[in-house]
Amino acid sequence: MKKIRLLLVDDENDFLNAYVRRLVRRNVEVSVACRGRDAVEAVKATDFDVVVLDVMMPGMNGIETLRQIKAVSPALPVIILTGHAKSEALVEGMECGAFDFLLKPVGTEDLYYKMLDAIRSRTLDLV
Amino acid sequence: MRSIFEIISRVVRNPSTEKDDGSRQFIARCENFRLLLAANNKALEIMAEMSEEARLNSLFGMSHVRSQSLKVSANVRQMIERLCRMNPGKYDALKDVFNIIVMEMEKASDSRSEQSRGPLILTMDEICAESISETGSKMAMLGEIRSELGLKVPEGFSITASAFMFFMENSGLDDEINRLIQITDGNDLNELQTLEASIKHAIDLAAMPIELEDYIEGASSELLKDRHDLRLAIRSSALGEDSGEASFAGQFLSVLGVSPENITDSYRAVVASMYSATAMTYLLNQGLREDELVMCVGCLEMIESVAGGVIYTRDPIGKHKNALIISGVPGHPCSIVDGSALADTWVMDRADRTLRDVFIADKEWQCLSSSNGQINRVKVSENRRSVPSIPYSVIIELAEIALRIEKHFNCPQDIEWVKSSDGQIYILQCRPLSVAESQSNGDSIPKKDEHESLAILSNCIPASHGFACGEVVIVETDDDMFNFPDGAILLTYNAKPRLAALLPRAGALISEHGSATGHLANVAREFGIPAFIGITGAVEKLSGVGVVSVNTATGRIYRGFLSGQNYTRDNLAVLPQNNPVITALRNTLPFIVPLSLTDPDSSKFTPSNCASLHDITRFCHEKAVAEMFRENAMSAANAKRLKGERLLQYWLIDLGGGTSSSVDDKYISLSDIKSNTMKALWIGMTQIPWDGPPPVQAAGLMSVISEAACNPALAPGMSNNMGDRNYFIVSRNYCNLQSRFGFHFCTVEGYAGDDPDENYAFFQFSGGGADKSRRMIRSWLIAGILEKQGFIVDVKEDSLFARIEGVAAEAVEQALAVAGYLLVHTRQIDMVMSDSNAYRNYQVKFAQDIEAVLSSYSIQSSEQGRSL
Repeated sequence: MKKIRLLLVDDENDFLNAYVRRLVRRNVEVSVACRGRDAVEAVKATDFDVVVLDVMMPGMNGIETLRQIKAVSPALPVIILTGHAKSEALVEGMECGAFDFLLKPVGTEDLYYKMLDAIRSRTLDLV
Repeated sequence: MRSIFEIISRVVRNPSTEKDDGSRQFIARCENFRLLLAANNKALEIMAEMSEEARLNSLFGMSHVRSQSLKVSANVRQMIERLCRMNPGKYDALKDVFNIIVMEMEKASDSRSEQSRGPLILTMDEICAESISETGSKMAMLGEIRSELGLKVPEGFSITASAFMFFMENSGLDDEINRLIQITDGNDLNELQTLEASIKHAIDLAAMPIELEDYIEGASSELLKDRHDLRLAIRSSALGEDSGEASFAGQFLSVLGVSPENITDSYRAVVASMYSATAMTYLLNQGLREDELVMCVGCLEMIESVAGGVIYTRDPIGKHKNALIISGVPGHPCSIVDGSALADTWVMDRADRTLRDVFIADKEWQCLSSSNGQINRVKVSENRRSVPSIPYSVIIELAEIALRIEKHFNCPQDIEWVKSSDGQIYILQCRPLSVAESQSNGDSIPKKDEHESLAILSNCIPASHGFACGEVVIVETDDDMFNFPDGAILLTYNAKPRLAALLPRAGALISEHGSATGHLANVAREFGIPAFIGITGAVEKLSGVGVVSVNTATGRIYRGFLSGQNYTRDNLAVLPQNNPVITALRNTLPFIVPLSLTDPDSSKFTPSNCASLHDITRFCHEKAVAEMFRENAMSAANAKRLKGERLLQYWLIDLGGGTSSSVDDKYISLSDIKSNTMKALWIGMTQIPWDGPPPVQAAGLMSVISEAACNPALAPGMSNNMGDRNYFIVSRNYCNLQSRFGFHFCTVEGYAGDDPDENYAFFQFSGGGADKSRRMIRSWLIAGILEKQGFIVDVKEDSLFARIEGVAAEAVEQALAVAGYLLVHTRQIDMVMSDSNAYRNYQVKFAQDIEAVLSSYSIQSSEQGRSL
């Protein structure tokens, strides 16, 4: 089975390390970015299958990052994964074309299947 | 779990390489439909959970309420997204409706109300009872007794609620703390300790606004003016702390001996103590909102004390009538309130000021201020250990002061006092005292105690009343706290306030040191946990004895389990019915749960009439089914209507291998069905004819009529044929049925192939025409039957979610036959679910019928060589 190429965007190292470890075991090739600007650059440079994106980050926040990622690569599915439990983030994120909105904490398996859904949908031009 | 998409993918070649023809569009629609159904099931599940949580008064914090609301919103938003993609442009209006509902919902559960910013600092001269919203109760009461009663209190100032809000907003801590609480998975002590450390770290790193720093510096410089040296006690005075309902006794930090240049560091530490593991546990068990915590902080001059203690203007455990209790120790009174020392105690008659009882403790240690303001434990010299900490004249003076304070505030008081080196009495704190009803008929221990011979300890003075049995577990370290088993009897050397985190789970509390006037005793009374505090030799005598019974009515601790007590108590803390967290949850439910959009044929079945998230799910589900099976889609998908002896109200889409090839492109006969799962489901649905609606009891009919009156789409006529919108999607081993039988909605889905790991059956059922209690009873009835058949069942309110997985194909087929039977035969029986005879009759009938269905299924499957 082909490896999933994931870009994981979060400013918390502990979170990144934990998820990278668990996802690599599931045949996911994980690239990480700690800032919105780095994430946009990464999307310009690399062909990812899916992006998992935090909302609250220093500098450019997650919603603006999402807008810029969608401007660069409209078909690339982006899943928001955040501990920022605000309806505003959900409303804005979905308006800006996020595939789905998940609240931390989320199990690795749930995240993995959500990524599969997002990739399938892209295959069918649903994103 | 296998998805429709995967099943389709086996049938249709890789869609990404196909040209954009009807089948590819159909696959995309199927996938959107699948995602919509998954989100629908999840949303309904969370809605049911939330309703149940509100009904059961469960224990959780605000982060859980917010997270549940947001998760349900995210799933509903996902449904909208998928529906919009099934027919672009047609349903976009739903997005605006959704946005309005969720933003309104957020407002309804908003935390700290917007208030205009007040002063950042208030000095003791400026503080009175009216200052409580800016200074918290502790400082407001001190200001009040100083200005109104002329009593001595330490000089100082308050860093106000406005200052706290300013600090939180200015530094972004508000959002960060909410986020940290949100991402903490669970509420056990271990996780809460990790959370405590993260929040403390965030508060330590947050930038203190310059303006606030300047004000603090100005206020401390003002205090320093007439003094050569100044040491301060930086004390918590949180909003809500020391209120009658929740004292937070000892849960927040006080930092003693602080020099002026270190005030802001101590301020941060006191603010962080609001989020300590023990404070958060206390908060959770009281049902208070963590997002409404506001820490005001008192900065008070330290008094050089030669003695100090606590006064209760009433006996908090109701043993002594009309008594006032004064406790005292030499030095600083912190050893009393933190439970580490035995104190002298005087019980005084409130009316004539005579002493009814005196206990002079053997005081091994005392707390004294050092020259740098720090408090040190110092050994009491041998010849002073049994000397009373204060003379009689001071006892009388304290009683007079205490009664004046009680009279002023018009309620019993818990007062902390010190006597300074120059002989002045200073009040450090006063707060309302909760007084328990006396548990015994009079002051004496009952004369006859049939279990006396089993007593390990006698003559124990209770700090909180009750009776409990359990295994004695000693708690000395943090590890002991983490491993403390529910219901055990908590045994400890010192009655430290941090043990409050364990009290809601403990059967009783027994402490060697400390007193009934300490913080932990207060919290034990709040949670209704029986407690003996200050029991000499308790640890030695009780360690390792196993199960004991604690009875405060007899003042004894007995070996083993005793029954037949003259009173019993519920050991579990009873949560207030309308605590702030439950109230916030109930305020969000109207935006989520009510379902008013029930009749798809009504002209009102439109996005603009969706008033709740449940309405939106209902609308999306209905429209998605319609989109899935709309005319041009049906032909693209080759949907056919089922035909038995006559045309049936069922349509079927074969994803591949589910039916034998037929020349008829409009209809399909039952005999052409090859899908093993659909055949099993169909046998269950049709093997035993439905008896029709149950004979209606007047009350049952009234229940339906009143439900229908609230819900115009539900008319009580119930001329219900086999539903009007029922769709099967099938393959050789897969079947998904979406059905609507009158008032209730069901999904049945199953896969039964060669690999047990891939096999499953799923049954989801909700709704009905009768009132909610009858619908809930019907769900329990169905749940009981499904559990006997091996399903794992979850009932929440009137919704039922049942699944069976990892089993052989035959077991899935049998499970689907059972689900099919229940789908048809439980229609409308909710009307008679208030009648226990009807409940039992249905239980028996369903069990017999299901046995018949399964044996018919076995015969039919063996005739066809095992596999249907």
